[in-house]
Amino acid sequence: MQIACRNLHYTYPGADFPVFSNLDWSIEGPGFFSLFGLSGTGKSTLAKLISGELSPGQGEINYPKTRRILYTHNTERIPGWDTVGAHLRSVTPTSKTSLLNHILKDYGIRTYMESRFSGLSMGQKNRINLARYLVQEFDLLIADEVLANVDEPTRNQIIERLKTLFPQKTFLYISHNALEVARFSRTIHVLSHESTASANRIHKTDGLDQEEGTEAPEELVQERVYAILRSAAGTNESRL
Amino acid sequence: MKTLKRLFQFISIYATALGLLWSTKIIYGFSDYLIPPPLEVLQVAIQNGPHYVKAVLNTLAVAIAGHMFAIILATAVGLVGRLNTWPGNLTRTAAYNLQAYPIVAVAPIIFLFLGDGLISRLLIAAMICYFPLLLSFIGILAKPVEEVEHFFRITGRINWRLELSIRTFENLDKIITVIVGSGTMALVGTIIAEFLAATNGIGYIIRKALYQSNLAKILIALFLIGLCSSMYLTFIETIGAWIKTRLYGTRSSPYKQI
Repeated sequence: MQIACRNLHYTYPGADFPVFSNLDWSIEGPGFFSLFGLSGTGKSTLAKLISGELSPGQGEINYPKTRRILYTHNTERIPGWDTVGAHLRSVTPTSKTSLLNHILKDYGIRTYMESRFSGLSMGQKNRINLARYLVQEFDLLIADEVLANVDEPTRNQIIERLKTLFPQKTFLYISHNALEVARFSRTIHVLSHESTASANRIHKTDGLDQEEGTEAPEELVQERVYAILRSAAGTNESRL
Repeated sequence: MKTLKRLFQFISIYATALGLLWSTKIIYGFSDYLIPPPLEVLQVAIQNGPHYVKAVLNTLAVAIAGHMFAIILATAVGLVGRLNTWPGNLTRTAAYNLQAYPIVAVAPIIFLFLGDGLISRLLIAAMICYFPLLLSFIGILAKPVEEVEHFFRITGRINWRLELSIRTFENLDKIITVIVGSGTMALVGTIIAEFLAATNGIGYIIRKALYQSNLAKILIALFLIGLCSSMYLTFIETIGAWIKTRLYGTRSSPYKQI
């Protein structure tokens, strides 16, 4: 799936400065991509613009209209009247029941099926929320810090399983964790901290695209992490 | 248990107020005509008790009916008022402007047109508790619960029923509090209506006692009003708690499987 933004402008109502000016950017899936940037650089805003939650002031976002884009973030909750299991069963299309069972098993959430969402830990909530999105019809899933509260080994395992289970889908993973995005992404799109007011730039850095059962060399991971952090800070110097 | 607690609280407050009243009488040497002694109050209670109980139950029945009517109306209008369309905007503007007008000032007009019977009392009771309910309902129903609704919206499952279910569920405590609070207002509205012009109910009895300058009768009437009010509010709270338990329990999902 290809998605391209051209000359994108966006300013929040009442804000003095735009979040984006003249932004040109694109990704071409399938694959696991990441959007990285320091806080306040507009990662979630870009995600909302792509998913149609926000409308750009100017510019255009092009993708085939038959394609389905979903956007999820880590503060989402399921309705309090349902147990986790009842909710997941209700929102899973019949054709995806076996996929749901796979995900429940792989993500270690089967044991919470009779629990109420409000009674779970943040990490458990993150996993359940992601699971319900994965069983929907989508071509691009924008996952905004969806595993922020999950411990690192489990998070790595989830991302690896996700890449194995959905090789034909496109993921845009938003994270503040440079190590994680360097290790698992095909490409890391870095929103620079030093974008000028007249034009935003998104730097692209190759990731290591680590798959299930493989292990990227640690030196390479470190090298990519530095590259990502340099891009995010808006400098090419090796001062980090 | 909750009923007993509330009744105990009311009786404690009532007894304290009586104690203060009689202390004032003793301190300032007020006459028995102005502040009747405890024995006289007891005699009035024995003589007029059954009649007053009947009157207060009559008032309570009208207040409950008016309250129910106001809840239904506020829900229906709130459903329109939550919309971001011109009927919604118009409803919200009208509700905010109309609520600023004191209903008690309109009450004489209602009596003029509808007489001093049941309908007037019912209408005034409903109108007095209607606007606080409406404004709360509009506020609650118009505000998205983004963390819950987002999934249903982006996956195309959202509909007005689901939206309403989510917002009601997420604000259940607020809604119950508003309904309990408006229950008191419905009772107040009914008593005001009876006090103004009706020929029935405990408000009417207070008005007659006022003309006779009979504080003993007023004290008994106030006791019965407090008693009924406490019981009614506890009843609403119990229903609210039951609804919450039921919703947290076995409720089926209001969205369809696709």
